[in-house]
Amino acid sequence: MLVRSHYVHVNDPQLTEAKGLLAKLRRYDRLDVIYLVYGLMVVSAVVLSYFLGAFNLLPFDPEEMDLEAMMAPVFSNGHILGTDFMGRDLLSRLILGIQAYFLPGLLAITIALTIGSTLGVLAGYYGRRWDTGVTYFNNLLDSFPRLVLILLVVAAFKPNIYYIMMVVGLTNVPNIAALIKNKILFLKQKNFIESAIALGIPAPAIIFRHILWYNCRAVLVIQATLGMGEAILMETSLSYLGFGVQEPTPSWGNMVQAGSNYLLQGDFWPSTAPALFILLTILGFYLLGDALNNILEGKKSI
Amino acid sequence: MSPAPHLLIEDLHTYFYSSERHAFIHSVDGVDLSVAKGETLGIVGESGSGKSITMLSVMGLIQANPGVLKGRVTLQSKGGSVDLIPQIEDYVELENKDQSIVSVKKDTVSWRKHIERTMKSIRGKEISMIFQNPKAALNPFTTVGKQIVEMVRLHNPSETEKSAREKAMYWLERVKIDDPVNRFDAFPGDLSGGMCQRAMVAMALASEPSLLIADEPTTGLDATIQASIVQLLQELKTDLGITMILISHDISVISALSDKVAVMYGGQVVEHGPARDILEVKDHVKNHPYTKALLSSIPDEKNVLPNGHLKSIEGEVPDTIDVPCGCRFVERCNAYDAGLKTKCVNARPRLVNITPDHRVRCWLYQE
Amino acid sequence: MGAPLLQIKNLEKRFSKRGLLSSFGNAETVAAVDDISLYVNENETLGLVGESGCGKTTTGKMILKLATASAGQIIYDDIDITRMPEKDFRPYRSSIQMIFQDLDAALNPKMKIRDILKEAIKIHQKELNEEQVEARAKRLLELVNLKQSKMNSRPSELSGGEKRRVGIARVLAVEPKFIVADEPTSALDVSIQAQVVNLMQDLQKELGLSYLFISHDLPLVEILSHRIAVMYLGRIVETGKAEQIAKSPKHPYTAMLWSSMNHQPQSADKKAAELMNLDVERPKTGCRFAPRCPVFHSNGRPSVCTDPDNEPKLPVSQNDDHVVACHFPLNR
Repeated sequence: MLVRSHYVHVNDPQLTEAKGLLAKLRRYDRLDVIYLVYGLMVVSAVVLSYFLGAFNLLPFDPEEMDLEAMMAPVFSNGHILGTDFMGRDLLSRLILGIQAYFLPGLLAITIALTIGSTLGVLAGYYGRRWDTGVTYFNNLLDSFPRLVLILLVVAAFKPNIYYIMMVVGLTNVPNIAALIKNKILFLKQKNFIESAIALGIPAPAIIFRHILWYNCRAVLVIQATLGMGEAILMETSLSYLGFGVQEPTPSWGNMVQAGSNYLLQGDFWPSTAPALFILLTILGFYLLGDALNNILEGKKSI
Repeated sequence: MSPAPHLLIEDLHTYFYSSERHAFIHSVDGVDLSVAKGETLGIVGESGSGKSITMLSVMGLIQANPGVLKGRVTLQSKGGSVDLIPQIEDYVELENKDQSIVSVKKDTVSWRKHIERTMKSIRGKEISMIFQNPKAALNPFTTVGKQIVEMVRLHNPSETEKSAREKAMYWLERVKIDDPVNRFDAFPGDLSGGMCQRAMVAMALASEPSLLIADEPTTGLDATIQASIVQLLQELKTDLGITMILISHDISVISALSDKVAVMYGGQVVEHGPARDILEVKDHVKNHPYTKALLSSIPDEKNVLPNGHLKSIEGEVPDTIDVPCGCRFVERCNAYDAGLKTKCVNARPRLVNITPDHRVRCWLYQE
Repeated sequence: MGAPLLQIKNLEKRFSKRGLLSSFGNAETVAAVDDISLYVNENETLGLVGESGCGKTTTGKMILKLATASAGQIIYDDIDITRMPEKDFRPYRSSIQMIFQDLDAALNPKMKIRDILKEAIKIHQKELNEEQVEARAKRLLELVNLKQSKMNSRPSELSGGEKRRVGIARVLAVEPKFIVADEPTSALDVSIQAQVVNLMQDLQKELGLSYLFISHDLPLVEILSHRIAVMYLGRIVETGKAEQIAKSPKHPYTAMLWSSMNHQPQSADKKAAELMNLDVERPKTGCRFAPRCPVFHSNGRPSVCTDPDNEPKLPVSQNDDHVVACHFPLNR
């Protein structure tokens, strides 16, 4: 963060009454708003591209080799991002590459959020033995190196990205369980839950409406965006290493790997383009998570 | 001419900024206070009246922005008179409109460095402060004894380990911690709330300051423990002749200890004078309507109305963001008549002398 | 008058001392509430006074089954609710309510006041339609003297006093008969405290409520309560009509509490002041107040006070008698 020496404060109560999205955004730190907008752009681009790929609405067939135009530069022969070493259209392959992590990533998030919040609620709301059990479970998962676990799964089954993402999701469970548990303990400390019980609100309503919906939704959304970023990172690294998505199906990870063989010849683009995409996308998800954290949880700078 | 007061606060302004409402919180808005040497000043007020912020401003402990904006705080220290917020005008640019500040530009980073330099020779040495919730104010990882030794050495760095230890033990005995020999090596977590507050007092006094600021020293403690802390402060006050500023919302604590009393409301001092004139409602004394109302809302038999109700002040404690353009108390006041009303609503009363040492901020008593 | 609305008989709450080995064998237990009996009549306020940690809040929570009783009985409206399963207890949830010390306890920060009240109304009155619920919410705000415009506010926009009023309104939404008020004014400013106390008195008259008013503030309890029970380290040491407790306390602890409220210099009685300051753990044997008791010390430490088999017991009180658990009650 920038360190500002001079602070200027202006009495302007009208700003609070401001209606409309833009006016509301002005209330938050400018950097947060920039992160938010960028993150949302990335997310919508990813979702859009996913559907383009799913319905096969691509500029070129991603597996068609154009031997005339191997390593074509950007904007040549209609290839907007050029072609790779086999003359395949890079843009089409990049768009299709999203298929490799999109659904698996969602699976990872779903697993992490559902199991994580269930365990968090059990430990925080019911406490006692549940708490002990969940703590042991969390410690067990935490003490297991994640990469080893993934390699074990890959070895035991086959290098299927869904299996890997299940592991990624599962290893995120302790993190989310702890967050939810702490939130519940905080609410308990303020007699918030006792007061709901005393009023006669049934337990499911307390858990789902008061705890998860009203008090944890921000945490869950933030964890979902961060989880997606992490899933992409995991998928690309594993595909790069050859454990994830296998050629000829494109994935950003295996594209970087395949392209990197040609780096020494000076053809850096086929590997740099997917690497840039990885960077910008993961950054987008992380910054979105960060901005949401600041905006939804009300942690404003200044 | 009477000697200069030990601590003199003139026209102190400390504002904060509500980023939610994009407006200033007028926490301390033109406070004038003074305390003479050896005297105890009690500051009473409800939450948000600015009593703690005033003292934190004096100590240079304001962290949030923009903080102290203008004013003058003069301390008669051992080496002569010291300005505690020196050259504030060099760091702050204010834009005024209709007598109120609408925009502030403050070089907070340089100001903080500047104030830290100034206060280095003051904190602990000239002025000590004790806080509410002593358990939180003591370092939980160091023994009580070591923390007091540290303060002894702050006062006199040349002190040997042994004599500093002896002095620390003396202070522990002085604050009547029972079994001081064993408590010396105890950690704050092992002491009860009352013991911790005693240890805090010992720490504050160990550096032999001339002014002690006690911010809600009894709040949160049990009634019997409160009483004993009040008694301790009373004894220290008479034995050591120390000047004390006592902040509390508990009027019985204030009345037990104070010589002078200041009543704060909405960031301003509304009444300042001898304790007996302020805390005992007498017909011939011209008290501020807020003081009268506050005193009569204390749960006590004589404040119960025939229908079993307690006398109360209607309305809510103000939040000092939207300050009225007239008197701060006007919305809850029932003392003015139709003739005064326009004045009360539209013009700010000044703090004026009723008697030579009793000042009130109310249109009832001024032109 | 018939049987009291609420009766507590020999209620106990024990906590096991937490330790590494506590799950093995018989763990040492500490009694937070130790064999207490009390009753609250219809339309009456019983003040429960004591210092922090004396077990008064735990007592309140046991009545609402937010804490389970280790022994004893809680009888509400002639029915023993002590060990009733939650399913059967549900109907009672609407008639026994609690006001928590924490102003924010009842208020979900993300909900508007309207939704907070509506939710509470709908729990026990499912037959109401949306309009009726809205009308009832408006009526509740009126009852606690809040402006209708506060309906659309969120808890963070309210002052302390307003939060407390909303908390009371939410409790009233389920139409309770008996309310445990746990330090309802301790988080409030003096001027606001008086408003809330007055409101609680008005509501009692208007709706025929009974209160168990838990507080450490003896003068306040005296004004608000019909009867007072004084608690010390898990036990009730004295109970009687409010003016009896206030004017002629019999237990030395009650007298000490009273004198500490006034903060007058007690130079005349240095010894008493020192005892007041003492915070000791409960003695293993005999009267639990003995180490701090001025009577015990001035009477030359009579052995009856430290006799392990002779801890003073509170006589069973009927007809609002003034009773005390002390071997040497004060006579004023």
